[in-house]
Amino acid sequence: MSATAPRNAAPRVLVVDDEPQIVRGLKIILRDAGYAVESAETKAQALALLGSRPPDALVLDLVLPDGEGVEVCQEVRRFSGLPILVLSAIGDEREKVRALDAGADDYVTKPFGTDELLARLRAVMRRSGDPGGGSQVTVGDLVIDVLDRRVLRGGEEVHLTPIEFDLIRVLAQHRGRLVTHRQLLNEVWGPEYAQETHYLRVHVAHIRAKLELDPSRPQYLITEPGVGYRLRDSGD
Amino acid sequence: MSRVGIALLGERPRSSRTAREGATSREVVLSVVEVLLATAIATGVVAALQSDAPPAGLGAIYLLAVLAIAIRRGELAALATAVLGVLTLNYLFIAPRHQFAIAHTQDVIELVVFLIAAIVVGRLAAAGRQRAAEAESRARIAAAREREATLLAEAASAILAGRSLQAQLDSIGARVADATGATRARVAVESVPSPRDAELAFRLVANARVWLYISDDATWDEREIERIAEPLGRLIDVAVERQRVAEQAAETEAARRAETARTAILHAISHDLRSPLTAITTAASALRAAAITDEERVELIDVIDGQGLRLAKLVDDLLDLGKIQADAVLPRSDWCDLSDVVASAAAHLGADHQIEFALPVDLPLVRADATQLERVFSNLLENAIKFSPDHSPVRVSGGSSPSRVTIRVTDHGRGIPTQHRAHVFEPFFRGRGDSGSGSGLGLAICRGFVEANGGRILLQAGTDGGTSFAVSFPIAHQPAPAPR
Repeated sequence: MSATAPRNAAPRVLVVDDEPQIVRGLKIILRDAGYAVESAETKAQALALLGSRPPDALVLDLVLPDGEGVEVCQEVRRFSGLPILVLSAIGDEREKVRALDAGADDYVTKPFGTDELLARLRAVMRRSGDPGGGSQVTVGDLVIDVLDRRVLRGGEEVHLTPIEFDLIRVLAQHRGRLVTHRQLLNEVWGPEYAQETHYLRVHVAHIRAKLELDPSRPQYLITEPGVGYRLRDSGD
Repeated sequence: MSRVGIALLGERPRSSRTAREGATSREVVLSVVEVLLATAIATGVVAALQSDAPPAGLGAIYLLAVLAIAIRRGELAALATAVLGVLTLNYLFIAPRHQFAIAHTQDVIELVVFLIAAIVVGRLAAAGRQRAAEAESRARIAAAREREATLLAEAASAILAGRSLQAQLDSIGARVADATGATRARVAVESVPSPRDAELAFRLVANARVWLYISDDATWDEREIERIAEPLGRLIDVAVERQRVAEQAAETEAARRAETARTAILHAISHDLRSPLTAITTAASALRAAAITDEERVELIDVIDGQGLRLAKLVDDLLDLGKIQADAVLPRSDWCDLSDVVASAAAHLGADHQIEFALPVDLPLVRADATQLERVFSNLLENAIKFSPDHSPVRVSGGSSPSRVTIRVTDHGRGIPTQHRAHVFEPFFRGRGDSGSGSGLGLAICRGFVEANGGRILLQAGTDGGTSFAVSFPIAHQPAPAPR
């Protein structure tokens, strides 16, 4: 767990959760993974801390005593691109989608495994720094070249239609992170198509047929049921 | 008329047709009498004047009679009067008298001139009379149309103003009675018409089963009522449809609310189960961390302990609530001293918060399950302590009326806002903003157990801002005192 210790100053994470019992354990886990941790119990406290000492990432519970985590996302997005990882005890996909559409970068459902939490946190934090090796994204034996608009599998070029390439490009730019249906439709087809989720089902199936070894058990293009898709991170 | 059938039910005045015929024949008889009378009067006048004037010139007197009859009885009667007048004049006054022969050519000409004059006068007068009658009837029809239009407008405003369909129909009935001069009128939606005594039934809309009943003393005739039946029926059709849509909207809204409530409860359960679980798994992971102080280790173990208990309590509460909602609480009723039960609940609570007991020594016994009641009072005491300021004791008081025994648990905390009081007994409702602690099930379980044991639990606002819960049971027939 200590392998990810930062090179210079420890990245700072703000944990917002009103359950002190959860925060206590979370602080130790994050500290052990090399982060400097601060915590807030309410929306007001969180916003005050975000304003005075902006952290490098935000771990945010959706249910707060004085408001909703979604409101914090919206507020943060008005002034920064701070990576936000949502902690949600709610098993309702709609709530997750709401948080993601409000600006959260990914979510972890309570109770969560420590490894999953840390992997997601790494993925959302990578975005703000290094976009992932210039114009090329490598996942397993896939190489996605965003500039040349080419995808190589095991060194051989795979032919993708322009729509298919755009889909894989958006996922590659957010690799390791969850991209909602709305976000994908928005970026590939345009805002007026944000409800047409059936487009995605068809094209994702085509892409899997071309890129996956076993399209029925995808290794690269992972479905998050009811929420969106993610491209597996090389570190996962 | 194709869509609106008019059904005539009840006892219609059967004479209406024959009465009209009777009226016509009576008119004919009256006409004949008037014709004869007018001719007789004219004859009398001529007889009185004949010595002073030439008989043929006296025909003008008969002309007056013809004119009078034409005005009163129309053209046919006038013609009859003219012919009768000519015959009488000829028979009585023109030589040779007492036979229908005429001696002088001049008299013949005069009689023919008289007849023509009589016919022309009669026709003119009759035409004038008819025009007057037509104008009168047009005015009557116009007035009737105006009354109908007014009635329909009033019915429309009744539909707009009425709160319920029944209120709208009642109001329309009253307006119909008003307009038609009937003692009463009513509109009813029913598939089989049910007119009362002396009521006429009109079907207003064939498909919506709307009937109009009007008492048979209405001044409007049946055709007039038929004329308003269709537009009135359409108006009521609109009202019926409006009510149906409103009911449908209300049903949809109720279903939506129920769905929202169910989702909220599922979220609450999900949240309340996952939070302690998360705290436990997180603490367990943290214990595995490389760098951890002894102090932190103790803290984490405390978290696991505490959250494990919280989870166990929540699971117990959920199971109890499940039992209550499935009506599967089976109280084992026995004689039960409520003061004892409260004292035992307070003792098991083991809290160091001060509890004041102000219970009379001779509270009547009740029939109830003591274990379940102990749960109730322990929940109430726990709540009261949680919301009491430090050093403000929780008060347990009680008393009995001839029919009930009541125990009150009162705190002097900040109280429950008025708008939340109706909901405090609902599962997962947290009226006092304690999102972290407590399952939100305590009061729901209290009510379930109290009611399963035949009692009642009420929330009473404290006089000084606190909260008071009153639990009461009916007094059972007391058992015989134990032998000394």
